[in-house]
Amino acid sequence: MNIRHGLALVAALFGAAALAQEHSYAPSDIENGRGLYQANCLGCHGNNGDAVEGANLGSGRFRRAGNDEELIALIRAGIPATLMIPRPQLSYGELRSLVAFLRNMQTAAGSAASREVRIGDARRGEELFFGKGACSSCHGVGGGGSRLYADLGSIGAQRTPESLETAIVDPRKEVREGQRFMQVTTKTGQTVTGKLLNQDTHSVQLLTEQETLDSYLKEELSAWTFLPSAMPSSLDVLSADQIADLVAYLISLKPAEEQAR
Amino acid sequence: MNRLVTQVTRCLLAAGLVSATGLQAQVAPERLLAAEAEPGNWLLYHGDYDGQRHTDLEQITPANIGNLELKWIWQVRSAAGAAQKFEATPLVVDGVMYTVSPPNDVVALDARTGRVFWTYAYAPANEARVCCGRVNRGLAIHGDTLFMGAIDGRLLAIDAKSGQLKWNIAVGDPSLGYALTVAPLVVGDKVIVGPAGGEYGIRGFIAAYDVEDGRELWRFNTIPGPGEAGFDSWADPAREAWKLGGGSIWTTGSYDPELNLMYWGIGNPGPDWNGDSRPGDNLYTESVVALNPDTGALAWHYQFTPHDEMDYDSTQVPVLADIEWQGQPRKVLMTANRNGVFYVLDRTNGKFLLGKPFVAVNWMDGTFDANGRPNRVLSPTEQGTFIMPNNQGATNWYPPSFSPSTGYFYVPTWMDTYSVYTKRPVTYTPGQQYVGAFPTMAMPALSVRPVNQRIPEDGFGAIQAIDPQSGEIVWRHEMSDVTDSGVLSTTTDLVFAGGREGFFYGLDAKTGKELWRQSLGGQVASGPISYQLDGKQYIAVAAGAGLFVFGLED
Repeated sequence: MNIRHGLALVAALFGAAALAQEHSYAPSDIENGRGLYQANCLGCHGNNGDAVEGANLGSGRFRRAGNDEELIALIRAGIPATLMIPRPQLSYGELRSLVAFLRNMQTAAGSAASREVRIGDARRGEELFFGKGACSSCHGVGGGGSRLYADLGSIGAQRTPESLETAIVDPRKEVREGQRFMQVTTKTGQTVTGKLLNQDTHSVQLLTEQETLDSYLKEELSAWTFLPSAMPSSLDVLSADQIADLVAYLISLKPAEEQAR
Repeated sequence: MNRLVTQVTRCLLAAGLVSATGLQAQVAPERLLAAEAEPGNWLLYHGDYDGQRHTDLEQITPANIGNLELKWIWQVRSAAGAAQKFEATPLVVDGVMYTVSPPNDVVALDARTGRVFWTYAYAPANEARVCCGRVNRGLAIHGDTLFMGAIDGRLLAIDAKSGQLKWNIAVGDPSLGYALTVAPLVVGDKVIVGPAGGEYGIRGFIAAYDVEDGRELWRFNTIPGPGEAGFDSWADPAREAWKLGGGSIWTTGSYDPELNLMYWGIGNPGPDWNGDSRPGDNLYTESVVALNPDTGALAWHYQFTPHDEMDYDSTQVPVLADIEWQGQPRKVLMTANRNGVFYVLDRTNGKFLLGKPFVAVNWMDGTFDANGRPNRVLSPTEQGTFIMPNNQGATNWYPPSFSPSTGYFYVPTWMDTYSVYTKRPVTYTPGQQYVGAFPTMAMPALSVRPVNQRIPEDGFGAIQAIDPQSGEIVWRHEMSDVTDSGVLSTTTDLVFAGGREGFFYGLDAKTGKELWRQSLGGQVASGPISYQLDGKQYIAVAAGAGLFVFGLED
């Protein structure tokens, strides 16, 4: 163990008690926080907390704040030179509620409309992920997968069980930005498929199936078309119990420091 | 109106009251009245009082636009400014360009080279709160004095030669959400502004201040109180809702000197997305008001979206023109509204002449009653209601253009967007947003993220040409992403505009055909202008954190 790792371990041990406390938020605080979020944050950060690039509020990780007190200080003071203005008008209690909501955002955000999602056994789910489900043929978990498809190493901190189950059984229902595939056909007849990285009125940028970065001028293309998700529904392969196990495994996939809590 | 002003100008020129060029004369009110006679300058936010954003300069044409090249760039210096949208329309006065780097730094530049004469850096108070960016849309000038509204609710007068502060007054309390983002309007010896803050439960107003000392001369409450006309449109039993009624101002009005009426678009009622606490039409939110600039007296109003619950601020530029409309000479007011409808009104009396959607619209059914009241069919619900256009609207503060040459109205458009509006309970806390549940939107409202991975069904952007005779779309220049750009039209039948992608276009004003484009590397979220110096015509536009100036090859 080098010194850096040692310090990290000490910090983790000292932080564990405080962080554990931070996980017991009163439902009333979370609900109050939802209202405060809608009034103060939603306009920029969006319904899912992921509308600002580099700041996915629902992930539970904040670049500028580690614990709840730092988060409270950050919200109160704002971030200079950004749209994140100071909010001195929020009381400490309100800020606590707001943080309670942020810490529970993924599960609280849609709680009113949530349906029951069966959650099975994560260990069996892991076996399915790397085995019969063949998920790992495309998706990595903290590395190891194709650059074309989402790495799921933190998916449990980013998505609700409901949305994960939907993605497994009906992957074409919602394909999120950043996960969309496009097929382009050049005027010379070449067809290329890749993940859409960017587009504008005059050009398209892809990460191709060969994992090359390609940019095309639309004036050189005869067609450019979004493709439906290539991911097959697991309904054809897995039983309801197995899908519940897979959901359990995906929920368990969180950043290392989240798991330490 | 324009022709009349031109005649006035000729008289003033003959009398030696108007500087022909380059003498750095004071900008007396008479020069503003005759701004059309000085196409080499850009003396007002709109270039002229009529809001047309149309230049009579003739050097740059469809035939030579291919020779347009970059002449100089001025870059925002502060990190705080570079992180914001650069929304200001510059002024050009006798060789000096004045603009505002966000949030509130005024800069004077040599309009030939972009070299800095002076900078006045203003630090807004920490209490400043703005819903949608620490931005500023520009300046006004009177004599040797520039006027700037600041996001902390203050109005500043700055010496145009030295960059020194002359006076600084409070227009509204920033801790309650009153902020100034609008470019002021100077009429006579008055400087006129109103506060933003429709998301904070403000009670809006338009007020005139003495250019000499900032003394308030009159105030028109955009939310009428007890005893004021329109108060009955706030019909909650307790008669309290008007106090938090919103009615913000954040886009500069236009002015008809002949009728001596100003026209201002008014913002949303508060709270934005739940109208239960404020039954009634909620005047004068979502309206255009015609005011006498001497007294602030209301001549007439027209409300675009009665009892709005979709945040369709009517803070678009009311564009004035004297045209033959459907066979009759008319003094019209044209505006493309955030609610997705293009309107033509008779600006002498506010009579509704035409209303026609210019995007997909479903909050109303496309019809109006005899008085021009829209037939509303949708509202937010507790379950959520799918409504088009989206919360950011079919257009917004982005200044449009009208070309007397083509007769077309050019509007920056968010095409076929939608939001799901959900009604939630709202409570008011001073200084906090007073809105309800923010509607969902596939299209980011304010994002400057330089990446677009959206599908076309989520909406796209366009510059559209509308024939005001019929409201029909004449042409549409489509863009993959939406646009927060203003539009400039020229007497040589060009249209200049851009969008979030950072492209800046020169289009054929008659057909929409792209004749020229330049990638500026940052979103165009400002109104382009044109000016002329030493016999050379320039086109200037802010994009990203830079101000770009183009001219023909030497």
